[in-house]
Amino acid sequence: MDLHHIPSKKQLFAVGGGLMVLTALTVAVAYIHIPSPFNIVVALLIAFGKASLVAAFFMELYWDRKFNSMLLILSVLFVFLLIGLSLLDIAYRENLIATF
Amino acid sequence: MAQSSSATTHNKFVDHHFIDADQQLDTAKMGMWIFLVTEILFFGGLFAAYAIYRIWYPELFAEASTELDRIMGTVNTVVLILSSLTVALAIRAAKLDYQRQQIIYLAGTILLACVFMVIKYFEWTHKFHLGIFPGEFYAFEGIEHPKAPIFFSLYYVMTGMHGLHVVIGIGLMIWLIIGASKGKYHSQYYNPVEITGLYWHLVDIIWIFLFPLFYLIG
Repeated sequence: MDLHHIPSKKQLFAVGGGLMVLTALTVAVAYIHIPSPFNIVVALLIAFGKASLVAAFFMELYWDRKFNSMLLILSVLFVFLLIGLSLLDIAYRENLIATF
Repeated sequence: MAQSSSATTHNKFVDHHFIDADQQLDTAKMGMWIFLVTEILFFGGLFAAYAIYRIWYPELFAEASTELDRIMGTVNTVVLILSSLTVALAIRAAKLDYQRQQIIYLAGTILLACVFMVIKYFEWTHKFHLGIFPGEFYAFEGIEHPKAPIFFSLYYVMTGMHGLHVVIGIGLMIWLIIGASKGKYHSQYYNPVEITGLYWHLVDIIWIFLFPLFYLIG
C-alpha cells in the first residue's frame, strides 16, 4: 500500500488510451448487431472493464487501502442484488399491470 | 501506521484531531468513498428501473434508442474520459508541487465538462423540438410503440441526474482552482483535490454505463 503514490504521466496516458480503445470497441460491436441478449452482455462486459480501469488507476484503488475497494465492490454487489431480485419477480409475472 | 510520524505530527496542515497527515488523508478518502457508495446505490435504483422496463418492453428500447445520436454520445464519452485524465493529471501535479500545471489541468477539466454539457444541451433541445418530452408531455409521432414516453422518461431522468452531477463537478473544480491559485494544495496537503477527483471519476464511470445502455444497444 502506498497512500501517496504518484503515478507517472506515462501510466495515466496509458490508462486513458486503454479507455479510448475500449470505447471504440463498444461502438464497433454495436454495428455488428450481435443478437439480443448477447449484445447487452458484451456491452456491459466492456463497460465493467472500463469502470475497473478508472477505479483501479484513476481512483488509485490499486495503491489504496483495501477497505475502500471493499466499499466499492460491496455497493456494486448490493446494486446487483436490487436488480437481480427485481428481475426474478418481474420476469416471471404472467400479466403486466396495465398502467405500467 | 505512519512511517514518519515525528516529521508530520506538528505539520501545520494537519487538523488537531488527526494523528498525522496520513491519517487525515485516509479519513478524507474513506469519507468520500462512503459518499460514493450512496451515489452508486442512488444510480443503482435508476439502473434497476431501466432493467425492469427493458425486460418488459425490449422492442421499445430497440426502436426508441435509434432516436439518440450515437455520434454525439460517442464524442461525449471521449470528452468525459479526457476530463478524467486531466483530473488525474491535476492530482499528480498537486502531489508534485507543480502549481501552474495543477491549475491548467483543472481548467482543462472544466472546459471538457462544459463541452459535455453543451453537447447534452444540443441533444436535449433537438428532442424538445421534435416533441420528445418526458412523461405525459410526450408529443412525438415518430415512434409507434405506445410506451415510448417511458423510454424517454428514463433517458431524461438518468442523463439529467448525471448532467446535474457534471454541473456540480464544474462548481467543485472552480472552487479547487481558486484554492490552487492561492497555493493551498501541494505535496503536504492535497486532500480536496484528491477527493474531488474521486467524485469526478465516479461521474465518468456512471456515464460509461449510461452510454452503451441508451445509445448503443437498441
